[in-house]
Amino acid sequence: MDRIEQPHGTTASVLPPPRPVRWSLVRKVSLALVSILLSTLLLAGFFAYYKFESVYSSLVQSRYSFVVFTIKKRVEDNLNLGLALRQLRQVQDILEREKMRDAQVIAVEIFDARGEVLFDTDRGAIGSRVAANLVEALKGAPGQPFGATDEDALIVGLPLVNNLGKVEGGVVLRYPAVYVNYGVSGLLLELSKGILRNLVVFSILAVAGLYLLFGRVGRRLDAMERSLNTVMTNGGPAVVDRPGDAFEERFADFVAKSREAVDHIHDATQEVGRLDRLQ
Amino acid sequence: MTLSTALRRLAAALLLMMVAVWPAAAAEDKAAVKPKPLRIYMALWRGWEEAAQGFKDYFINQNIPVELIVRDAAQNKDKLKEFVAEAKQMKVDLVFTWGTTVSEEMLGRIDSVDPTRHITDIPAIFAIVSQPLGSMVSDFASSGRNITGTIYLVPTETQVNLIQSYRPFKRLGVVFNPLERNAQVAIAELTAIGAKTGFSVESRALELSDGKPDPASIKGKVAELKAAAVDFLYIGPDTFLNVNRDILTGAALEHAIPTFAAGENPVLTSKALFGGVYRYYTVGQLSAYKAEQILLHKIKPADIPIDPPKRLSIIINMPVVRQLGLYPPMKLLGLAEVIDPTQEGKAK
Amino acid sequence: MTLDRTRPLFIRLLLLALLVLVPPVALLAHGAMDDFARGLVPEMDKKAAVVGRDLASSIERAVNYGIPLDKLHGMPEFFEPVLGANREIRYLAVTDRDGRILFISGADAALLAPFFSSADFDIAASRKALIDNFVDITQPLMFKSALIGHLHVGLDQDYVQSRVLEIGVDIGVVTLVSLLVAVEILLFVVTFNITGPIRAASTVMDRVRHGDFSATCGVTSEDEVGRFIHTFNAAIRYADGLFRRLEAYLDEVKTAHFDKTVVERVAEIESRIRFLFRFSRSSQPEVVNEHQATDIRLPLFLFVFAEEISRSFMPLYIRDLYMPVDWLPLEMAIALPIAVFMLCIAAISPAAALVSARRGSRRVFLIGLAPATIGFLMSALATNVWDFTLWRSLTAVGYALVTMACQSYIAQASRQQNRTQGLGVYVGAVLTASICGTGIGGVLAERVGFAATFMISAILAVIAGLLIHRLMEAAQPAQDAAPERRVAFLPLLRNWRFSALVLFAAIPSKIALTGFFFYLMPLSLMRSPDTDLGDIARMMMLYPIAVVILSPLASRLADRMGWKAGLVAIGGLIGGAGLVLPMVSPDSDLLGLAIVLLGVSHGLSASPQLAMIPDICWTECRNIGQTNVLAFLRLTERIGSVIGPFLAAAFIPLFDYTGAVVALGWVVLGMSTVFALLSFAFGSGPHIEAEDTE
Repeated sequence: MDRIEQPHGTTASVLPPPRPVRWSLVRKVSLALVSILLSTLLLAGFFAYYKFESVYSSLVQSRYSFVVFTIKKRVEDNLNLGLALRQLRQVQDILEREKMRDAQVIAVEIFDARGEVLFDTDRGAIGSRVAANLVEALKGAPGQPFGATDEDALIVGLPLVNNLGKVEGGVVLRYPAVYVNYGVSGLLLELSKGILRNLVVFSILAVAGLYLLFGRVGRRLDAMERSLNTVMTNGGPAVVDRPGDAFEERFADFVAKSREAVDHIHDATQEVGRLDRLQ
Repeated sequence: MTLSTALRRLAAALLLMMVAVWPAAAAEDKAAVKPKPLRIYMALWRGWEEAAQGFKDYFINQNIPVELIVRDAAQNKDKLKEFVAEAKQMKVDLVFTWGTTVSEEMLGRIDSVDPTRHITDIPAIFAIVSQPLGSMVSDFASSGRNITGTIYLVPTETQVNLIQSYRPFKRLGVVFNPLERNAQVAIAELTAIGAKTGFSVESRALELSDGKPDPASIKGKVAELKAAAVDFLYIGPDTFLNVNRDILTGAALEHAIPTFAAGENPVLTSKALFGGVYRYYTVGQLSAYKAEQILLHKIKPADIPIDPPKRLSIIINMPVVRQLGLYPPMKLLGLAEVIDPTQEGKAK
Repeated sequence: MTLDRTRPLFIRLLLLALLVLVPPVALLAHGAMDDFARGLVPEMDKKAAVVGRDLASSIERAVNYGIPLDKLHGMPEFFEPVLGANREIRYLAVTDRDGRILFISGADAALLAPFFSSADFDIAASRKALIDNFVDITQPLMFKSALIGHLHVGLDQDYVQSRVLEIGVDIGVVTLVSLLVAVEILLFVVTFNITGPIRAASTVMDRVRHGDFSATCGVTSEDEVGRFIHTFNAAIRYADGLFRRLEAYLDEVKTAHFDKTVVERVAEIESRIRFLFRFSRSSQPEVVNEHQATDIRLPLFLFVFAEEISRSFMPLYIRDLYMPVDWLPLEMAIALPIAVFMLCIAAISPAAALVSARRGSRRVFLIGLAPATIGFLMSALATNVWDFTLWRSLTAVGYALVTMACQSYIAQASRQQNRTQGLGVYVGAVLTASICGTGIGGVLAERVGFAATFMISAILAVIAGLLIHRLMEAAQPAQDAAPERRVAFLPLLRNWRFSALVLFAAIPSKIALTGFFFYLMPLSLMRSPDTDLGDIARMMMLYPIAVVILSPLASRLADRMGWKAGLVAIGGLIGGAGLVLPMVSPDSDLLGLAIVLLGVSHGLSASPQLAMIPDICWTECRNIGQTNVLAFLRLTERIGSVIGPFLAAAFIPLFDYTGAVVALGWVVLGMSTVFALLSFAFGSGPHIEAEDTE
């Protein structure tokens, strides 16, 4: 191939300077993968936390509803003797004993069907009215405990049913909402730490893996680009890095054809020039 | 004195206090809303007792102002006609009848209601009627008339279940007064249930002398039941045996036969092992609850079912339990009222 | 690793994703489970102490009445309700002072006896011990201030374990979903950033290899591929530039030169060059973009994801919205929005398909997103069944537009490639989205509520829109104006094979899908008190999973054995039989099995159903086109989608929930049996084996 010469007699590339890589493949895919990782960890942590919270708070609630249930049994035994709810003086002692057993209990109270507090561990509250939603809750299934929330207290309660099958009132126990929060906050901290640790470690791993994976793609593209540049600028055969790779072979064909075109045009231009000067 | 009777006395005392302060309370609470108290005509058979008290207490507990016009027939059937006339003339809001005779005479048996002789326009509630089905109503769900009522006898099937829950049994012994139809009806029912659920009934009729049952024959009959290897002795709603309950339960205890009573007295004041009853006081309260539904909630009497109180009173006689060594199941013990003079003031 | 094929690179990427996603979640879950178990213990102990104290006081009361401790009667019945109501308590026992077991419920006495007898219990305080797999909380039993024995409350460690495992299951679902999402996103990243541009470059390369320099590659990304393509294009431009200069020179020489022979020689050179190479006429080379079916996969996935999120709780949400009216019972009210949704899709789809073909997929996708997003958003704010139905039908309009836009995009894009592959992209995206949406939706709704979950749907739809808007600007495959003519569909119904397929295979399969899976399933599962939304969602995920696993198998089978009608028939029978199963017991496990069988059924029959069409109506396919025949099948089978929920709703008052499932099962099974019998006649009919109409 003696016709191959420098088209313009220089060794500078005939092609414009390469476009700078601002968002490399590794960066793009890393961003995708790390955000998937982050959202997976967050979602998993979120679900784990919520599950724990729900199991924990239902356990706390079931404990207090058991306490409420024992109070209900005793009050109903007394109601069965035919006394009216407001006359059951000894109930006040029962309530106070239950509160004493557990320091977490804010208050235990018994109110009648209209919502008037008849007995309360907080004696000052006797005679006041309970929230309307508690009165409403009495209308539910008589054997089922009901739950409610106050400003900063959680409430479990049960309706009190007399021997006529009539709901006479309800007994409720208030315990602090922060009690549950306190119990689950440890897990929340551990989870956050775990999420952070895993995120950091595996993000590094992901980025490293992606460098390996796309580094190769980048290098191959780079090699092809360089070979294109060299052939276009200096001529010579296009080098096939990996014989057998269909794309690379086609690319080599492309490079050769491009070069061929360039050469042909160049020759034609020279020939025309010669003819032009031949006057 | 037992614990529960003590409690009830306490309750009564409290109620007296309430009654004393009630007019003032009513004036504050309800007077503005309901200036005129409801007028209820109470026709009684044997004077003022627990059911009447329960009826009255209910209104007090619920702060419902009522004016009770109390009339006692003192077991005199003739007086009932006057009561009917008086109730009609007074135009009371509701009539309460106590007992089978009073209810049948004043409200009319289901097959012979006569507006001239009976109260039909005024809503009425009957209580303490032994067999309301067939006599007062044909269906517990609805009387179909301007009346409703309460059941005070524990259904035989419930009684049997109660005995079974204490200890399973195969043979049930009954001593009965051949002159009382109630007792025979009860035995027939027991036998029918026994045939279904697998136990037999050994019944022994008391001997008669001078056309009356002979209390001296009780001991012998109990011995016969012992020989027949009964597991439980059943005391039904039998007036004669209730009067002679000490002899009957004493004999049973001697032979180590546990006794179940369908009434409270053999357990409370005698030596029956345990019993399941609806207390008269509760039945009275339930009747008042139904009255409230009619008078205040304007529900038609025909739409109010005739039913017993929701909760059965189980009474266990602890000294007898200990003597027999036949201990109650824990679950039953948890539900029951325990009669135990030695434990007075300690438990419950 | 070849650059122009997605698979090798994608598989490596997927392995990496697996490596960096699964272990951290597993580690996190493991740590959380440990903390969880530790955190629950003190609270369980307290509960056991409370229960123990109450039981102990009852026993002490009995002893106070003079009942000897060992003579307590009816203890199993006494303990039973406590064990029943508190499932974390495994056993209750009473021992005497010497530690001999007097009463025990819930565990084998022989197992615990050695421990109780050896332990030193001679103290009058409560204490805690670990026995085997139990935590034993001991309460002293006192009589007249003397110790007479102990009450033991045995907590089950397995209970804690099983609650902890529930977390594992939740996290497992999250992991599965995020892996599937990762697949979608990575697939998108790879095809959009690498394979697509490289394929476009290949196309250009092939033209250059044939001497055609008239095209460049339309890639403008700023990554390595963009840089490569930039240089690649520069090479073409360089050649083009040289040619232009030569051309100008030639023109100059041709016009200016006086020597005829020179002009002739020059013209000869020009024609030689023009013979060897081709350059664009203007100096603007043609820009080549590669359109792939996979381009639209991620937006489609996100959109279907958004819709499927509400799958597991839709009927429950409607139930919450329902306000009693005399003339519309609850069951029908729940069926209404589900059926109306289906009806709207059926009504809009044909028009949507036409519009997509004419106006371009991207625009229709974006247009469709507007009603869909509004629908999702307003569904969250709905106050009653009526406005909810309205918002759902709006969503349905959007759904029809978006799915039709995607189908038309894929059809156009895959003209260059393989049509089945294109269909695979569509079905694949829809099914993966269905797995993800169903699975995550239930768990989410359990935590944040129904309304907030609908909001998330709306957000996902918006993201899908942004993707389409930002990334598909240039990517619009060439459209061919669909030949428009009125197509007479009715003759199709005269083809008994087609009618039988519609009536006894396609319609019952849709009835089962909407009546059972969409409508009855969440409602009947929710009736069991232990089931929460997450459980329902997990069970409902089984359906798309079964379909995903079986679909490729079924299409391969259909291709190989050729007996497509048979597969459709077997599929129908399996689905119907699955629904009848709960007859045996109303256990939720059997409902789960019914879901799996429904998935198996649809996995088996869906693609053979379509593949049958050219066989059984080859004349019609010739006359009106296979696409139209398929569209008509789609339209008619939606009759089943619409009546499914109503049929189920009508069955509930008659047979209760499980009964309604079974009744629906009998309907489906009956219709499928008819099809199975007819299918024997399919092969023997006078229809000619169709040539490939593609």
